[in-house]
Amino acid sequence: MTIRKIAFNLFAWTIVLMVAFPLFWMLVTSVKPQSELFRRPPTIMPESWTFEHYWRLLSDTGFLRYFTNSVILSSATTLIVVAIATLGAYSLVRYRYRGRETLAFLVLFTYLLPSVVLILPLYLLLVGLGLSNTILSLVIAYTTFALPYALWLLRSFMAGIPEDLESAALVDGASRLGAFWDIILPQLLPGIISTALFTFILSWNEYLYALVLVNSDSARPLTTGVMNMLITSFNIEWSLLMAASVMMSVPLIIAFAFLQSYLTSGFGAGGVKG
Amino acid sequence: MADVIFSDVQKRFGSFVAVQNLNLDIRQGEFVSLLGPSGCGKTTTLRMLAGLEFPTSGEIRIGERVVNDVAPGDRDIAMVFQSYALYPHMSVGQNIAYPLKKRRVPKAERARMVARTAEMLQLTALLDRKPKQLSGGQQQRVALGRALVRDPKVFLLDEPLSNLDAKLRGYMRAELVELHQRLGRTMVYVTHDQLEAMTMSDRIAIMEGGALQQFAPPQEVYRAPANRFVAGFIGTPGMNLIDGALARDGNTWRFEAPALQLEARGLGPDARPGEACLGIRPEALTLGSGALRGVVQLVEQTGHENIVVLRVGEDLRLTGRAPGHTIWKPGETIPFAIDADAAHYFAAGPAGARLNARRSGPHESGDAISITNNMREAHQ
Ligand SMILES: Nc1ncnc2c1ncn2[C@@H]1O[C@H](COP(=O)(O)OP(=O)(O)OP(=O)(O)O)[C@@H](O)[C@H]1O
Ligand SMILES: [Mg+2]
Repeated sequence: MTIRKIAFNLFAWTIVLMVAFPLFWMLVTSVKPQSELFRRPPTIMPESWTFEHYWRLLSDTGFLRYFTNSVILSSATTLIVVAIATLGAYSLVRYRYRGRETLAFLVLFTYLLPSVVLILPLYLLLVGLGLSNTILSLVIAYTTFALPYALWLLRSFMAGIPEDLESAALVDGASRLGAFWDIILPQLLPGIISTALFTFILSWNEYLYALVLVNSDSARPLTTGVMNMLITSFNIEWSLLMAASVMMSVPLIIAFAFLQSYLTSGFGAGGVKG
Repeated sequence: MADVIFSDVQKRFGSFVAVQNLNLDIRQGEFVSLLGPSGCGKTTTLRMLAGLEFPTSGEIRIGERVVNDVAPGDRDIAMVFQSYALYPHMSVGQNIAYPLKKRRVPKAERARMVARTAEMLQLTALLDRKPKQLSGGQQQRVALGRALVRDPKVFLLDEPLSNLDAKLRGYMRAELVELHQRLGRTMVYVTHDQLEAMTMSDRIAIMEGGALQQFAPPQEVYRAPANRFVAGFIGTPGMNLIDGALARDGNTWRFEAPALQLEARGLGPDARPGEACLGIRPEALTLGSGALRGVVQLVEQTGHENIVVLRVGEDLRLTGRAPGHTIWKPGETIPFAIDADAAHYFAAGPAGARLNARRSGPHESGDAISITNNMREAHQ
């Protein structure tokens, strides 16, 4: 091994450790008994393991409800965003009409405005619709900021699918919809999965909109819910917070673990020559 | 009986005219090639016939039916794409079965038809593979199989051999011709390779700049090119094209260029004194004897024969063919002769029309075999 390689490896591992340590500490803190938390010098591995914080989290707090809300909220947002973005991307790539490019560009325009500017009009709009303090209001709000990016992401994936594939399906007797279903969708799957994952993570971690738009426990998602839980308690219970954090990360880690092969490997690439 | 008819078909993309005033009428069972340089509108023509592109104006018929408004799937055609367009997520078997599935052929029958097609194209061992696990030639056969599994009225093929290496291309060319003879179906074949067009077609439609230049059997295209473009496009090495003028002297015509004078024979009624173009195929040049003199510029040895480029006068270059045993060296001055009966004349301009009289003299009714043989040698 050359010096260069060693240096590179050292560098890479330093960064990995820097990123991983807080996560590790979070996990460790969540299973330490309260008494061990502030001991000096700190213990790296807990001397005695305990799951009492998790138990308390599930039985004494509103965590489960927040969790359910978050799952519903993120899944619904993802479903809506991916469905609209897929159809929109298809239209932008496959059909030729006036103002197509302008339209695609205008969609990105929302990103030029900070969300703080958008949040008040959105709030008033949702109140006007009678949707305040509902999960649906958050689904709509999240869709407004996740959709443009999802559309652009899927547009580039869609543009990568050769038009000949669809033409071939049409000649083979498929309808336009049939060709979309049989040929385009399977080809788009990696794009759809990345977009869905991206949207899900965005919704799962969103804080600002949730803070402003929802002010009732029945619709509160995890991000604001957990903060709420801690603020209302007398002194901050770090172990409880860490347990909540671990539980919040779990769905994302599971999703990544299952879908990463789709994200990294191209799917069926190379079916068209020339 | 006519099977495919284009009447006054035009296709514009915005203000760009991709195909203009196309009139073609293709007989049932005929093998027709669309031949032309890149961008001349071949694919566009084929896609219009497939229903993937709408003509801006004009009418397209398949059989007795006007198909302008008929969806691709209802036209009773099958198409092989230049890119093969195999469905990457389906196995070879599923790819071939797809057109049957879309036409609601019962499952058992589908399996039987796929098996038969696979056997014909020697794909049986590959039926479970994905397209990306196949070689180029195998992919090409799958694309062909997807078209052949049904029995459509017309086959459309868009440069299906262009991605193959020379050897496989030669083999597949023969396969396709045999297939055409066996099935007796109308085939429209797009290519920019004149050797493919010459060897395979009943008739060739030569296109340039979106316009049809000539639609005729291979030997006619070679022996009597309709205009200067076709004359220069068909044949390797290409026809010598010499700009000059026609002059009339009583009943005889003369062609005069700075370095060359020639008695012009066989001119038709369209000939007028004035600027014109003389075309001479390399094989109409006799090298080594004759009254004319030229300086050897370049000798390309192909083994069987030598392609010799001569400089005549100041800046006229003529290409001729000589047997492989000739040993002329660059710089040498050699005598040569031009067979005046084999000369072609065209009106001035890049697409100047043919001026020769219509006749079937000794040089216009040759056999196709010798033409394609000549071309094949030059090709290799
Ligand atoms: N969708 C389109 N929009 C605009 N112009 C197009 C479109 N499709 C084709 N053209 C133009 O029409 C002309 C003819 O294209 P076409 O694909 O028919 O050429 P071709 O003869 O098949 O060439 P090649 O041998 O390179 O495949 C080209 O100049 C091309 O740029
Ligand atoms: Mg083409």
